[in-house]
Amino acid sequence: MQGFPDRGGTPDLAQLQSTMHAIELACTSIQMHMNPAAAEATILSLSQSRQPYQACKFILENSQVANARFQAASAIRDAAIREWGYLTSDDKINLISFCLGFVMQHANSPEGYVQAKVSSVAAQLLKRGWLDFTTAEKEAFFNQVNQAVSGIHGVDVQYTGINFLESLVSEFSLSTSSAMGLPREFHEECRKSLEMNYLKTFYCWARDAALSVTNRITESDSAIPEVKACTAALRLMVQILNWDFVCNSSGGATSTSIFQVGGRQASDSPKRSECNLVQPGPAWRDILVTSGHIGWLLNLYSALRQKFSCEGYWLDCPIAVSARKLIVQFCSLTGTIFPSDNAQMHEHHLLQLLSGIIQWIDPPDAVSKAIESGKSESEMLDGCRTLLSIATVATPSIFDQLLKSIRPFGTLTLLSTLMGEVVKILMTNNSEEEAWSWEARDILLDAWTALLVPLDRNGGNELLLPEGKNAAANLFALIVEAELKAAAASAFKDDADSDYLQASISAMDERLSSYALIGRAAIDATIPLLSRLFSERFTRLNQGRGIVDLTETLEELYSLLLITGHVIADEGEGETPLVPNAVQTHFSYVVEADKHPVIILFSSIIRFSEQSLDPEMRQSVFSPRLMESIIWFLARWSCTYLMPPEENRDMNSRKVLLGFFGQHNQGKPVLDIIVRISLTALVSYPGEKDLQALTCFQLLHTLVRQKHICLHIVALDSWHDLANAFANEKSLLLLNTAHQRSLAQTLVRSASGIRNSESANQYVRDLMGHMARYLVELSSKSDFKVVAQRPDIILSVSCLLERLRGASSASEPRTQKAIYELGFSVMNPVLVLLEVYKHESAVIYLLLKFVVAWVDGQISYLEAQETAVVVNFCMSLLQLYSSHNIGKISLSLSSSLLSEAKTEKYKDLRALLQLLSNLCSKDLVDFSSESIDTQGTNISQVVYFGLHIVTPLISLDLLKYPKLCYDYFSLLSHMLEVYPETVAQLDSESFCRVVASLDFGLHHQDTEIIDMCLRSLRALASYHYGETRAGKAGLGSHATGVTDPSGNLQEGIFSRFLHSLLQLLLFEDYSPDLVSSAADALLPLMLCEQGVYQRLANELIERQSIPALKSRLVNALQSLTGTNQLSTTLDRKNYQIFRKNLNKFLIDVRGFLRTM
Amino acid sequence: MSDSEEHHFESKADAGASKTYPQQAGTVRKNGYIVIKGRACKVVEVSTSKTGKHGHAKCHFVGIDIFNGKKYDDIVPSSHNCDIPHVNRTDYQLIDISEDGFVSLLSENGNTKDDLRLPTDDNLLTQIKDGFAEGKDLVVTVMSAMGEEQICALKDIGPK
Repeated sequence: MQGFPDRGGTPDLAQLQSTMHAIELACTSIQMHMNPAAAEATILSLSQSRQPYQACKFILENSQVANARFQAASAIRDAAIREWGYLTSDDKINLISFCLGFVMQHANSPEGYVQAKVSSVAAQLLKRGWLDFTTAEKEAFFNQVNQAVSGIHGVDVQYTGINFLESLVSEFSLSTSSAMGLPREFHEECRKSLEMNYLKTFYCWARDAALSVTNRITESDSAIPEVKACTAALRLMVQILNWDFVCNSSGGATSTSIFQVGGRQASDSPKRSECNLVQPGPAWRDILVTSGHIGWLLNLYSALRQKFSCEGYWLDCPIAVSARKLIVQFCSLTGTIFPSDNAQMHEHHLLQLLSGIIQWIDPPDAVSKAIESGKSESEMLDGCRTLLSIATVATPSIFDQLLKSIRPFGTLTLLSTLMGEVVKILMTNNSEEEAWSWEARDILLDAWTALLVPLDRNGGNELLLPEGKNAAANLFALIVEAELKAAAASAFKDDADSDYLQASISAMDERLSSYALIGRAAIDATIPLLSRLFSERFTRLNQGRGIVDLTETLEELYSLLLITGHVIADEGEGETPLVPNAVQTHFSYVVEADKHPVIILFSSIIRFSEQSLDPEMRQSVFSPRLMESIIWFLARWSCTYLMPPEENRDMNSRKVLLGFFGQHNQGKPVLDIIVRISLTALVSYPGEKDLQALTCFQLLHTLVRQKHICLHIVALDSWHDLANAFANEKSLLLLNTAHQRSLAQTLVRSASGIRNSESANQYVRDLMGHMARYLVELSSKSDFKVVAQRPDIILSVSCLLERLRGASSASEPRTQKAIYELGFSVMNPVLVLLEVYKHESAVIYLLLKFVVAWVDGQISYLEAQETAVVVNFCMSLLQLYSSHNIGKISLSLSSSLLSEAKTEKYKDLRALLQLLSNLCSKDLVDFSSESIDTQGTNISQVVYFGLHIVTPLISLDLLKYPKLCYDYFSLLSHMLEVYPETVAQLDSESFCRVVASLDFGLHHQDTEIIDMCLRSLRALASYHYGETRAGKAGLGSHATGVTDPSGNLQEGIFSRFLHSLLQLLLFEDYSPDLVSSAADALLPLMLCEQGVYQRLANELIERQSIPALKSRLVNALQSLTGTNQLSTTLDRKNYQIFRKNLNKFLIDVRGFLRTM
Repeated sequence: MSDSEEHHFESKADAGASKTYPQQAGTVRKNGYIVIKGRACKVVEVSTSKTGKHGHAKCHFVGIDIFNGKKYDDIVPSSHNCDIPHVNRTDYQLIDISEDGFVSLLSENGNTKDDLRLPTDDNLLTQIKDGFAEGKDLVVTVMSAMGEEQICALKDIGPK
């Protein structure tokens, strides 16, 4: 496809027309799917040709094909952004005023999308020139816009003007701006400038536009054209309030305010609904707060509300939707816009809004009934959103007070009854998906969360007044009732979804934690309620056992345990969670443990759980699913309450509660019960993987995480029973291998509770020695090769490898010795297994992962001689693995088996790379007493050698796995950055692989990969430059290039990458984030190969045929190296200068270099 | 390690005679093998579910026939046993490809094996034939299970 003619002189009419026809034809053929590739090329060539503006204008003004006009506008944008650097300022202004004039002239055009496009092109160009234009030039544009928006040219033009402002604001807002190939700072500056100088003005224009048509709208009975303009104005106002204001810090100390500023949006609060705070700062006070603006808005909406029966208006008509959105936005207004010494102003503001929207949600029962009988729910949902917004900006007591001046009850009560209605609706039609009640529930729950989430870590949340507590208690009771009812109803549903438990727990988790906040707000009522509900069900089970079907009760208990777990304890996520403040501070009047409601609740649940140890009870009551919830509950409970660290406990009630399950009271017996329940769950529920996963990963892990619990746990007989069963009994070999691994880890970790190091090591030997010996024996049998393939042997080998891996990953200084011996004793067997199972990828993977974990746990403690042994072992392992797999092709009829085989390869290779990284860490963290050099081990050489073995196994296809690719390049770049000197010693084959890898990585689409390659290049080039300046060889022949065996001259590494990096920077697409690291790589490359750089620069200049551009290029190249006192050293300052120079250089020249 | 396993191990006098071994369904993992509908399959998917919410777990296996690539699935209660095929793989050097579709193979201990047919699938056939025609030294891996055998991989160990 030939490009369109350049603007060399004025194109004649015929030429313009033929261009127009070509574009029109292309547009129509795309629509009809005729040869779309050629059509796209035609359109692309228009936007890539030089200065296509005249043709584009011609098309916009003359074409009858809307799509062609659209494409012409888009071509103007692309070309102008690209060529911006060398357009004259007249050209620039002309383009913008052309676009603006075009939209105004065609304001009544039916093709809205062309209008929107041209409008956004004008906005983008205006932004591109924002920092260059003088104020007067900008004013000229804005005068034109202001006139349009004010409505003197009619409603259509008014609408167009507002739309232009909308695209302008969105262009200047960081999250919605379009890319212009400029650094982030540019966008940031534009944003700041608009916010400082224009945003408020735009808001006023929009407001005035809306005001000017309000009367006509309220007075007419049917839809009139003004509605459209008014809607657009409201939308623009919403958009402006959505702006991410930064210039609001002038207000000073906001902490004195009783309202919170932003504090509510703590990242850890579970939020499902959007609620953005609006914080424009004090400058906006006069417009938004004190001008009576809100009164007008509320009046407008209530006038609209009257009209919903009229033609052209309805609850969800655009103007009503926009008005409601704006009202919700106003509720989120906060920050320094309200003076900190005048709390009434904010309160008054919220009250005004609340009184305006109250009829959307009150009375709740009437509202929900109306929706159930067909009314649109959107107004009610917006009402909920206003409550959420107010809850986010106000403290609970202010929130509650607001309503009291207009209703006999507080806002909390309204929130509670409203949500109660929603929950009732949910209870009756639970089946319906995506119903409005779900959404309402989520928004209202967020409102509760916003109110109740403790503000600081000390749980300093103000307590609710009795009325609020009552409201929370009533709601919580209703919620629990609804959940139990839903549970009972679903008890007989077949559990079709396999991940049901995990999915349901994590999906319900968020919701349950919000419920828990409500429950905790009324903890005095909640705990007795839960106790009562539990005891009712326990009684039902005991009475009905063996007589009636208990499934419903079991499911209710399952649900109750989940809810209770959330109410009484927080999720630990690896930390030790504190006892929730509500539980700690309440019940202070109770000093006797057996009367403490919380202790009563816990004791009854633990006693119930203990009954699962009785085989008969287990058979009749404790279904696997019930056990799952018990194990989950016990894990969560133990984290917080079991043997809490003894601190100064000031309060009596806390002392009673925390002491009761402490180490000197009931702690030990309860721990013993829990361990026995765990063993039961593992042994007596064969094949229940979910249950066993919870037991291994959650409960047992929790128990051994804390050292003071380990102290007690290793002394328990039940723990020895568990260890013994693990080491010697067959039943635990039937667990899933991953669970066996976890169990091994847990058991070894508990050794930290053994006070004496020698006994700790002995404990590990007793636990694991048996298994290592079995592997040694097995692998030394003469006929092992014959029997190895038998499924039963494969299974036991897999189990043992996983157990060894688990034990290795629990390596701690105290048990390190025993675990080293363990691994050392199976080194040979491991190599035998690697040989025997070379076709059994499932075993190979487990084997590799064991070695990875073992090396990871050991490497930093090993003495020089041990390190040498381990390193040799790893190298044999790598070589053996490589010899089995290099050049191997799997043959199968099944494509999915082939892709499985590929995935297995990928996982193996990742493990091997991890192994190398682990070896690498020896140089960073080393606790050994002497340097490893004494044994002649050089870690960097070892790892390079390892990479040399592994790299040929990594095919380009496998590098498509992002994780593998990432691992490979991070290891490679780490090596190149930290040990560039070792590169010099690589043989040419290894070196070529490194170069090929870097070359591949440099053209990868993942920014991070490219970045790593750039860092490597920088490290190599700066190393070489430093060395050669000091008169040394640096990378030697690798840098100068060599003649390969077939007689071709191989280019040196630096000249090669200088070339490809320049090519990338000038002609290809990349993320602007990369420019800095590219500069850091380019500078040393240029210094290493100054001759090559000169030659490339000259070639670049030669290729440019247009004289004007040629001289621009020459100047740009000169200032790239010649400005800001760039020197030939590689220090920090010089790198910074070069980054700046390169950025400027690219902005200057990329535009025309990339032109066709 | 445990007694019963030692026992298994010692009684391997007739190792290889048994085509399948029983194993608890809960312990069968993805990437392992299983017999479904009488065919030796590789497990590509395992999921567990329950019979009714408070019932016992059952495993749902999706397996792919290791010989013909067909997909099968099966549901087995977790605590029950299922059959696991004894899958053997042996490496041979490829000596010759005969006109009638058989290959001659040389085993590690110097015996020859001439009773194995080439795959009928064109794609696989070309991969083997091309490598052989190029004069590469090829090692083929023959997979056998439940009385069937097939070439499942080849490896180039350098020019002859």
